[in-house]
Amino acid sequence: MPLPVRRSVRTVLTYLALFVAIILSLFPLFWLFLTSIKPKSLTFAIPPAWIFPPTLENYEEVFLYGPFSQYFLNSLIVALGTTAIAITVGTLAAYAFARFTFRGSQLFQMLVLVPQIIPPITIIIPLFILFRSINMIDRTPSLIFTYLSFTIPLSIWMMIGFIRDVPRELEEAALIDGASRWQVMWKVVFPLVAPGLAATAILCFIYSWNEFLYAVILTGRNAKTVPVAITGFITNRDILWGRIAASGSMVLLPVLVFALSVQRYLVRGLSKGAVKG
Amino acid sequence: MLIAPALALMVAVLAYPLSYSFWLSFHEWTLRGFRAGVPLVWLDNYLELFGEFEFWRSMRVTILFMVGAITLEFILGMALALLLNVGIRGRGLIRALILLPMMATNVVIGLGWRMMYNFDAGIINWFLSLVGIPPVTWLSSVDMALPSVIIVDVWNTTSFVALILLAGLQTIPDDPLEAARIDGASHWQAFYHITLPLLRPTILVALLWRIIDTFRIFDVVFTLTGGGPASATEVVSLYAYRNGFQKFDLGYASAISYAMIAMILLVAFILFRLIGRSEQIF
Repeated sequence: MPLPVRRSVRTVLTYLALFVAIILSLFPLFWLFLTSIKPKSLTFAIPPAWIFPPTLENYEEVFLYGPFSQYFLNSLIVALGTTAIAITVGTLAAYAFARFTFRGSQLFQMLVLVPQIIPPITIIIPLFILFRSINMIDRTPSLIFTYLSFTIPLSIWMMIGFIRDVPRELEEAALIDGASRWQVMWKVVFPLVAPGLAATAILCFIYSWNEFLYAVILTGRNAKTVPVAITGFITNRDILWGRIAASGSMVLLPVLVFALSVQRYLVRGLSKGAVKG
Repeated sequence: MLIAPALALMVAVLAYPLSYSFWLSFHEWTLRGFRAGVPLVWLDNYLELFGEFEFWRSMRVTILFMVGAITLEFILGMALALLLNVGIRGRGLIRALILLPMMATNVVIGLGWRMMYNFDAGIINWFLSLVGIPPVTWLSSVDMALPSVIIVDVWNTTSFVALILLAGLQTIPDDPLEAARIDGASHWQAFYHITLPLLRPTILVALLWRIIDTFRIFDVVFTLTGGGPASATEVVSLYAYRNGFQKFDLGYASAISYAMIAMILLVAFILFRLIGRSEQIF
């Protein structure tokens, strides 16, 4: 074969393989969504129904039977609360690590990796005993507190990288002009790391929003988050697939939108070692 | 100080629980007995653990899962990374799309796949029937349950492996590859003798993270199979969960979790030594 032809065949095959990879990646998510808008009589139709009059009955049922909107609110409160605390505290610490070296800073930076390594069960057993003894089981603040164990290290980790990218000279110039350290942080550094800060916040939000093990142990009827509530559609008699698909699609929607919006930073953070929580 | 709030919170949510559960692993804490006191039992929890058939079974399941999932993820991930490494248009979009499974909520992943794995009416068996393959008892047979869990994990995290390997590939200079090409090496030879050795640190880093993460897997297995059928998919974190939060034997569960930590540290130590320069972890 002449070279140009061979090259274009290769290009076509490359795109074809990538196309298959994309289809395989997205199909399960697409299928879940399709099931959620199917009439219940067609959920398990064989051959599968691809075209049908879409319905919202599954979504209606999710909210009709049980306080599902309450669970959504819980998830939102926990995820937002965790994120707000984690990025505030984490960014301050990250600034210190990025700009100063002090005794133990190396060690402390290594410790940030600890929650990525230990099994979550190690943390939840003592916290469960603690919350039980002070009557804080099934309350959202307990969950927020627990989620800080992985969101603070994550935000320190990501923000160190972003702050290091800000040229020191900019800060030194501001310091010479008489600005205080705080002013330098607020007026020089933060505006420049704003995109990184947003990406970090979104990651903290996604991880808290998705979290299951801590939530299933620490919450009951009141503070239940959506991932825990979804598993409640598996009853002793039946698995309510329509409702699982509908509530699952609703949980996934913000995650997918956020993930797409920060994917550039995500790739960067991930290849630096911050892994799936 | 700037790090004071972070430090205080980290002590409260990490250092305190970690030391408490270490303490607890040498004590007896059961729902029935804890009000009367938490007696010191020295190494009893650990001795019970090492003599317990169910613990070793869960370790076996975990290691089978780990080896199966990581092998497939690295083969497919490497292929994907090589495909993405040639200059193609739309790479950003493709990368974003294949990343979505990784960010998706684990509980939803588990339940969504459970629906697709359904024996009578699941979409996967229907696809198989189109090409003439008889239906597979995915989650309900002892033999197929673990492979089914592995497939879901491969779907879930191959893109993570691919992206780390891609980042590594992009740091490899073109010169040695070109030189090899001029000397008449085939694509495979160039890949095997040049790309792969240069990629070694990246591969080891990715391997370290995947080992740690597969060792700790919980959510997906919990929602997909709950550990069944007949404990065929009961990974070690499910075993710890069952003892801790169904039997409420928290001293014993703490001992399980510390046995897990010891094993993770051992593997991490070995891989750190292999990687050599530790800063490449980050």
